[in-house]
Amino acid sequence: MSIRRKEQVSWSASWYMGRRTKPISVAGAGGFWGDQVMAPVDLLENADVDYITMDYLAEVTMSIMHKQKNRDPTAGWATDIFEWLEAGGLNLLRNKNTKLVTNAGGANPNSCAEAILGLACALGWTDCQIAIVVGDDIHSRIGELCSDGLISDKKEKPVEDYMVDDLISANAYLGAGPIARALERGADIVLTGRVADASLIVGCMLHAEEWAKKAEALNLPFCSPINDWAPDEVDNPLDVIAGWTLAGHLIECGAQVTGGNADGWAEIEDLVNLGYPIAEIESDGTCVITKPEGSGGAVTRGNVAEQMIYEIGDPSAYKTPDIVLDFRQVTLDEVGENRVRACGAIGRPRPKQLKVSSCYLDGWFAAGSLLIPGPNAIAKANATDQILQGRLSYLENITIHSELMGTGITMPKGSTSITQYGKLTEIGGGAHGTQAMELPEVLIRWSAKSQSRKDIEVFAKSIAPLVLTGPGGVSGYAARPRPRAQLRFLPLLVEREIVEASVQIPILRTLRTALTERRPDLEARVFNRLQKIAERERKGLTKRIANRVIKGLEKPVEKAGGK
Amino acid sequence: MAELSLSDLGDEYNTLGDIAHARSGDKGDSVNIGIIARKPEWYPILQELITKEWMREAWGEFCEGNIHIFEVPGIFAINCILEKTLQGGGTVSLRTDAQGKSMGQATLTLPLRQ
Repeated sequence: MSIRRKEQVSWSASWYMGRRTKPISVAGAGGFWGDQVMAPVDLLENADVDYITMDYLAEVTMSIMHKQKNRDPTAGWATDIFEWLEAGGLNLLRNKNTKLVTNAGGANPNSCAEAILGLACALGWTDCQIAIVVGDDIHSRIGELCSDGLISDKKEKPVEDYMVDDLISANAYLGAGPIARALERGADIVLTGRVADASLIVGCMLHAEEWAKKAEALNLPFCSPINDWAPDEVDNPLDVIAGWTLAGHLIECGAQVTGGNADGWAEIEDLVNLGYPIAEIESDGTCVITKPEGSGGAVTRGNVAEQMIYEIGDPSAYKTPDIVLDFRQVTLDEVGENRVRACGAIGRPRPKQLKVSSCYLDGWFAAGSLLIPGPNAIAKANATDQILQGRLSYLENITIHSELMGTGITMPKGSTSITQYGKLTEIGGGAHGTQAMELPEVLIRWSAKSQSRKDIEVFAKSIAPLVLTGPGGVSGYAARPRPRAQLRFLPLLVEREIVEASVQIPILRTLRTALTERRPDLEARVFNRLQKIAERERKGLTKRIANRVIKGLEKPVEKAGGK
Repeated sequence: MAELSLSDLGDEYNTLGDIAHARSGDKGDSVNIGIIARKPEWYPILQELITKEWMREAWGEFCEGNIHIFEVPGIFAINCILEKTLQGGGTVSLRTDAQGKSMGQATLTLPLRQ
């Protein structure tokens, strides 16, 4: 086995020598909405990259955003992006000519774009081109799609009626195509809703390697197979897309590839200043994963391997809207300090259906915890648990789960990690871990779910009383936990043909307000620029929007009292 | 080179973590546990050791669905998929580790030999 590996290394090394010297650099400056807010600013300050990508959307984020948007029509997008753009990020993008591609638009790309546009105008970047990619939201059509048999759950079964009625959101995962086309049309910032994470990176590459240029020239549909966009000299477009998707998969979770969440944490230096990843991606689909010079963390074969295998299913068929990627023959090689080359991705034609991320309301949830001290901490915690369960035993439709933290609740059955405590008879494999040891103290956590909000409220009020009415020394009571609505993730599959993505330059309401209120002197410049766009473009959306904006700018402003 | 098997390992190797590292995460109600050999020559040992039955024995309390074992030879890794392991999914699970994030590291504590 090791012999085969060596051969592959030398093959890829000699091949690499013949390539042009500068690959396309794409950064992955965040892994979810909740990651370090200022990471992209650090990255832009410490590295020169062609594109910076940010993934803000986990499985249920879209539903949370839809709920926000229902309360406030201007909400429903990842507001972190505004925070870091305002804190110097936008100026860095402009000064370094780095394109930003992100799914921060969430459930409301238009409002996200308007906010950023307003910021850009306030900072004097009046010709900042912001594009949004829309078309992922199929929520309003879900009933019709179900009755037409165009949408199914992942086991090919039709979606149950009750699920459809309770769906908060349904967004199809879009691919790289529309992102690339937005960049090709001159976007400095591309904001999307639900897009497959890795497609953010593939979109950058389609633009950088001029596949999008060809698609524009031939006027191919945004959602046409991107392997059809490949320039003639590319003889294995599927493998190239697979390689770009691999690069995307490696950096889509931010610093998880540069030393975060790693087994080797004890040897990894300076996690305080953990650097976020940069993929140097080649036109042939190979890439080198690295990080900004001087940043903390480590890009090693091991850390990259951990990320490659993270949250994948069958490694022979990792599906995105763009490609079916086969990871099995991918090799990782350390080619320098904090530099790991990945090659060997194999691609097959994209799946016929698109995955849909949807969520439905599924009852109520609350969780709370108490600290139980020794002596006999575990026995005391069990007694406390039994008191709570006993007091709530009259509630019929509630599930209460208790965990004795510190007793091995994360451990599998047969785990040996707790042997240091000695005299074990039972290890791991359940919420109460092992009972056969002494611990100085135990944290007990209860979580409960029920279809009845009232039952969850009763549960939430039953934890604190245990401080006065349970065993001695119980502490750690904070506040009554708040019941929250449970969102259950429901992955669906939809026929690809019914999803139509489009690229829009948002209607510049904010731009106009910002200009007239803050910088009236800039308005003429913007006006001229828009007129140029309107004249230059043959036809299409950009021209229409430019014309609309010009019309808008010609109208007097009602409130601002400007012109 | 002859392939190593479990019986070739010395006494200093006791747990899975001595020969492999791991990372885990969620996809809907499934957990994926990726286990990677620390040295390429130990990959055959992982292939020998990590079976559906072995994973079922370890995680049976958590996993109520099928278990799939996939090989990723290019990086000397085994990818284990445990279906129906998150009480319906990361957003509705009552466990503190609702997304199975700790399961990879926890698996490393398992002994190599009975």
